[in-house]
Amino acid sequence: MRKHGKIIEYALSSLLRRKFRCLAILAAYALTVAILASILFMTGSLKIEARNLLGSSADLIVQRLLAGRHDLIPEAYAETIRGIPGVGTVTPRYWGYYYDALTGANYTLLGTDRKESTLELLHGRMPGGRGECAVGAGVSAVRFAGEGGELILTDSRGMGVSFQVVGVFRAESSMLTNDLVVLTDDGLIAFFGLPEGRATDIMVEVHNEDEVQTVARKVKRLLPDTRPITKRELLRTYDMAFNWRSGMMLTIFAAAVIAFCILAWDKATGISAEEKQEIGILKAIGWDTADVLVLKFWEGLILSMTAFLLGVIAAFVHVFFLGATLLAHIIMGWSVLFPEFRLVPHLDPYQLLILAFLTISPYVASTVVPSWKAAVTDPESVMRG
Amino acid sequence: MAGDVLIHAENVTKVYNPGMPDEVTALHGVSVSIAVGEVAVLKGPSGSGKTSLLSLIGCMSRPTSGKVLVYGKDVAKLPERFLTNIRRKTFGFVFQQYNLVRDVSVLENVLLPLYPLDIRISEMREKARGVMRKLRIDGKEHLKVKQLSGGEQQRVAIARALINDPEVIIADEPTAHLDTELSGEFLEILSALNREGKTVVIATHDPFVHEQPMVDRIIAMRDGRIDRAVVR
Repeated sequence: MRKHGKIIEYALSSLLRRKFRCLAILAAYALTVAILASILFMTGSLKIEARNLLGSSADLIVQRLLAGRHDLIPEAYAETIRGIPGVGTVTPRYWGYYYDALTGANYTLLGTDRKESTLELLHGRMPGGRGECAVGAGVSAVRFAGEGGELILTDSRGMGVSFQVVGVFRAESSMLTNDLVVLTDDGLIAFFGLPEGRATDIMVEVHNEDEVQTVARKVKRLLPDTRPITKRELLRTYDMAFNWRSGMMLTIFAAAVIAFCILAWDKATGISAEEKQEIGILKAIGWDTADVLVLKFWEGLILSMTAFLLGVIAAFVHVFFLGATLLAHIIMGWSVLFPEFRLVPHLDPYQLLILAFLTISPYVASTVVPSWKAAVTDPESVMRG
Repeated sequence: MAGDVLIHAENVTKVYNPGMPDEVTALHGVSVSIAVGEVAVLKGPSGSGKTSLLSLIGCMSRPTSGKVLVYGKDVAKLPERFLTNIRRKTFGFVFQQYNLVRDVSVLENVLLPLYPLDIRISEMREKARGVMRKLRIDGKEHLKVKQLSGGEQQRVAIARALINDPEVIIADEPTAHLDTELSGEFLEILSALNREGKTVVIATHDPFVHEQPMVDRIIAMRDGRIDRAVVR
């Protein structure tokens, strides 16, 4: 241990001697790690957000299809579904999207007659009448409509409708509620002009989780023009969407990683005459090959670990404190309301370990291997200058 | 112990780049002995094989054929770790170009051979300061080597060679970059070390060195062979 401690001390002094070169490598290295870690943190966190979001959603959502497209579903279908054994609560849902030309953002409008919500309110209460609404933090920010304020939206007849904001949402993250505007069911039906007796879809609770697939099959048999979507299918879709996006990003940045590896390899294989001479001197004065390799290993590890930690910290700050400003638009897609987006900090040790392995080990290897070539030669060469 | 054979090279041949177009035979069946406590000089023109023989004697390289015995033990076939251990304990080297690490301090240069050993840092520093005091460079321990004069750099190189308290000092063309005064000073240091019991082996083509009265054995070399050996 004492020997390693002293060799580490010498490794640090060696790195400080070449500080400008080391700083340049450190900067390039930390930047690469920061980009990769940002993508991993962001997609990891988004997946967890999506899971949290869907965790509280219905076991089964039944939509109606018309000519292969989503259509409004007759409320009477709810009665048929209620008759299936094992089915609990069946609730028609009224919701839709709203493009706000004023801000250029898309809102999700949701109707509910529940007084309590699974979504936590930051201020105020849920809407109780036609002229009231509760909004997400993003909507509140872009429309400057806090609790007690007014939100004017244009309805399906092109008329401006004024809603009084009675609540502003809080969720674990604003992903759940950021673009949300909640109205009462009849308020939403009137706003969108939905036909009498039609809902957007139907939410179905199933008593036994294992029977969800069976219930879905029965719904399909009884109501052939519907499409039952299970919670598991939704989760899988989210996972695939984020995996695809992060995969695309990782592919793009793979080029950066490869460029960095080339730089590292070039730096390491192009071991300078000065370094070669130093290895020769060390061997001539009594260091053996293993001692030289330990020195080079520590040099590589100190530099790469420092870069890795700096990169990971930078990525953490970028994703969780600065709202991933450089990546958010690519990863999160079109439906995001831009002003406010905070992800819940989450670290996956397994992912970090993989990232550390993929970035630290190639660098350490590219430092040690060429030095090994120089270290196994007879120290005699140093005598010949 | 004086008079005992410390190093014996027996019929050693050294071929560089064997089988390659630039193959060179630097030594042809050379045999030589150096006794404990003597000052031996390998002299001869450039390319005569002095440095090759010196590096074989100092366990820096292995002969292509023949034996190198240190205290009667053949070191030519030892694994690297053991060879390094013998080199570290037995030999201290002073190179022609000094071969100091230029950007580190005098103290660190002197300490370098001790880093891989299981010795406390405080003990290492104590040893280094003792050797540096002896060589009158103790006031310069925090200076970088590149800030020193040629003579001072050589004293740092000697201090580094002495830090492990070796039995043999090996010097390759030590006066090549020194004027007569500094050469005299250097040889005076070697003479003092020899009086303390150190064996000294020097490769040189500088007559100023091999004409020194402290020299006990002169081995003249030419074309990779021993031309003649004189014991005074």
